[in-house]
Amino acid sequence: MAEVEETLKRIQGQKGVQGIIIVNSEGIPVKTTLDNSSTVQYAGLIHQLVMKARSTVRDIDPQNDLTFLRVRSKKNEIMIAPDKDYFLIVIQNPSD
Amino acid sequence: MFTDEVLDSVSVQSLWRKSQQAAQESKGCQTRAVHSAEAVVQTVCKTISSTQTEPQDQETEQLLLLLQNRDEPEPPGPRGFLQRVEDMVIRELVNNAKSHAFDGLLVNWENYSQQVSCLHCLQHPRAQEKGFHVTSVSWSCTGSVIACAYGRIDDGDWSTERSYVCTWNLNRRGLHSKQADLVIDVSAAVTALCCHPKQPALIAGGLYSGEVVVWDTSRTHDPILAQTGMSADSHREPVYKVAWVPLQKKGEFGVLSASSGGRVLLWMVDSDQGRFVLNAAYAIVRQQVPHSSSASLKACGRSTVGVTSLALSPWDADTFLVGSEGGLLLRCSFSSQTPAAVPSEGQSVMLRAPAVFSFRPHSGPIHSIHCSPFHRNLFVSAGTDGQVHLHSLLQPNPLVSLRISNSYVFQVQWSPTRPLVFAAANGQGEVQIFDLGRRSPRAAATIGQGDAGQAATCFDFNCQNPHLVAVGKTDGTVGIWQLSTDLTEQSSRENSQLEQIANQVAE
Repeated sequence: MAEVEETLKRIQGQKGVQGIIIVNSEGIPVKTTLDNSSTVQYAGLIHQLVMKARSTVRDIDPQNDLTFLRVRSKKNEIMIAPDKDYFLIVIQNPSD
Repeated sequence: MFTDEVLDSVSVQSLWRKSQQAAQESKGCQTRAVHSAEAVVQTVCKTISSTQTEPQDQETEQLLLLLQNRDEPEPPGPRGFLQRVEDMVIRELVNNAKSHAFDGLLVNWENYSQQVSCLHCLQHPRAQEKGFHVTSVSWSCTGSVIACAYGRIDDGDWSTERSYVCTWNLNRRGLHSKQADLVIDVSAAVTALCCHPKQPALIAGGLYSGEVVVWDTSRTHDPILAQTGMSADSHREPVYKVAWVPLQKKGEFGVLSASSGGRVLLWMVDSDQGRFVLNAAYAIVRQQVPHSSSASLKACGRSTVGVTSLALSPWDADTFLVGSEGGLLLRCSFSSQTPAAVPSEGQSVMLRAPAVFSFRPHSGPIHSIHCSPFHRNLFVSAGTDGQVHLHSLLQPNPLVSLRISNSYVFQVQWSPTRPLVFAAANGQGEVQIFDLGRRSPRAAATIGQGDAGQAATCFDFNCQNPHLVAVGKTDGTVGIWQLSTDLTEQSSRENSQLEQIANQVAE
C-alpha cells in the first residue's frame, strides 16, 4: 500500500504534473489526485480513447500493440500508459 | 291455608375419603457402609521447551488481510502495474518538460479572422422617425435573437410617448435589417431590457413610468405575460435596470428591478393572473449606507439614493452590486434583515436596507457595473466621469483606473471568453475593447467610428457565439459586429494573470 503512495508521489513531483489517475480495465478510477467529478470525466473519456487507439494499432498490424499514448492540447498534455489490467493517466503542463 | 314447615337436614356419608385414609403405611431404607483408601504421587524428572512463530512473507500476509478485512479492498494489482510503468512514465514526463518540439506550434481549428467587421445594421424606421435612442440591447439565451429597446437617454421631463421593443432573428434566412421580426408596442419609453437566461421567449423590461413588464414573444395576440401596474408596491421612478435572478427553488427565476427612486425590488412572475408578486423589497437610504474610511459624504437634500445600475454576482447568489446617481458604489446582500429607514407606504413586504459595504465613490452617476465571469472578486464599474474602475470586492479602493474617454461611459462589460478583456461604450459612438494583459492603456480594438454626435449607449456580448457583439446607438441603429479571433480566444496564461491582478493591494 505504501509503495503505491510513494510511486504516485514520485510521479507527482515531476515538473508540471497537474494530476494522476489510475483506472482499472473497466474504466473505473481506482486511485486519483484530482477531485471527484474531474476524475470520473477523465476516466470515462480516456478509457474510450485508449480502446480506440489500441484497436487502430492492432488493425494496422496484428502483431503490434499500443505501449503509450500522448494527447497534446493547447493548455496541457495527457499521458496514458496502458496495461492489461490498469491505465495510468498523467496530466502535465510542460510549460509550467 | 299456608303454614311454615320445618324439615330435618339430610346428610350423605363420603365413600372415597374414608378409603384413602384407611390405607396408610410407612417404610424406611438404609445404604451399606462406603469403603475409602488414600494414595500419593510425585514427579520424578523435568524438561523445558518453547515455540516461536516465524515472520510471514508479504504475499500470504496480504492475502490473509484481504480475507480478514472486507472493508480494505486495495488489491495487490496496482502495485505491480505501477512498478512496471513507473520508469517509462517518469522518463516521458522529464523529456516532455525539457523538449522544445512543440514550441510555437499554432493549430487553427476555426477560421482565423484578423479584423473587426460590421455584419448588420438593424433599424426600426418608425422609431427612428420619432428620434428614439436605443436604450438597451440583449441577446436571447440561444444566441440567435437580439432584442432592442427604444427610449430616450437624455430625458429629464416626464414623457408619455409610446415606444417599441423590437427583435430580430439573425439566423433566419429572410433577415431584413430595416424590418424587425417582432415589434412590441409599449406604453412608455423602455429604459431597461433583459432576456431570460433559460427560456428564449421571455423578455423582461423596465419602463420610464416605473413599471416592470415581462413579454412572452411566443404569444401572438398579446405578448404581455405580466406587468406590475401602478400599485403601492411598484416603482414611482424610471426603472434603470432589470435582471433575472435565480430563486431558491431550482429552475425558477425572479425579476430584480432597480429604479432611481432608491428602491430595488424582487418580483415573482404570476403568469396565470398576469401580474407580479413582490417577493422582497430593498430601499437604499443615505443614512444607512456604510461609511468606508476614504469616503466623504456631502450633505445632500434627498435622503434616498437613486439607483442607476445593478449587477448580480455569478459566483455568490447572495451578493449584488448597486451604483447610484451620486456616484456611490455599494455591495448589497439579498439576505440582509435590517429594516430600511423609510416611512412605509403600504407595501406588502417590509422594506430592508441591503447595503453591506461601500466602495470609493465615483465623481458622477454610475451607468454600469459588471462582475467578472472568471474571478469571484473582480468587477468593473463606469460612469459619467469617463473612467473605468476595476474593483475587488474585498477592498474599497479600485485596483486599476483607466481613463478611456473624454465623454460619458455608458456601459462596461467583461468578455465572456477572455478573462482579461472588457469592453466599454462611450459617448462618442465607439465601443472600445481593452486587454488587461497588454502593457499599453490604449484600446486593443475599437468598434464604430468616432462620431461626436452619436453616443453608443449600450452593447451586449453574445454568450453562445462569443465573436458577436450588438451595439446600440443614439441614432436608433443597432450594429452587429464580428470580433477578431485574438479578442475571443483564451490563451493559457490569462487566468493566472487575472489572479495576480486581483491579488494586488490598492494604494
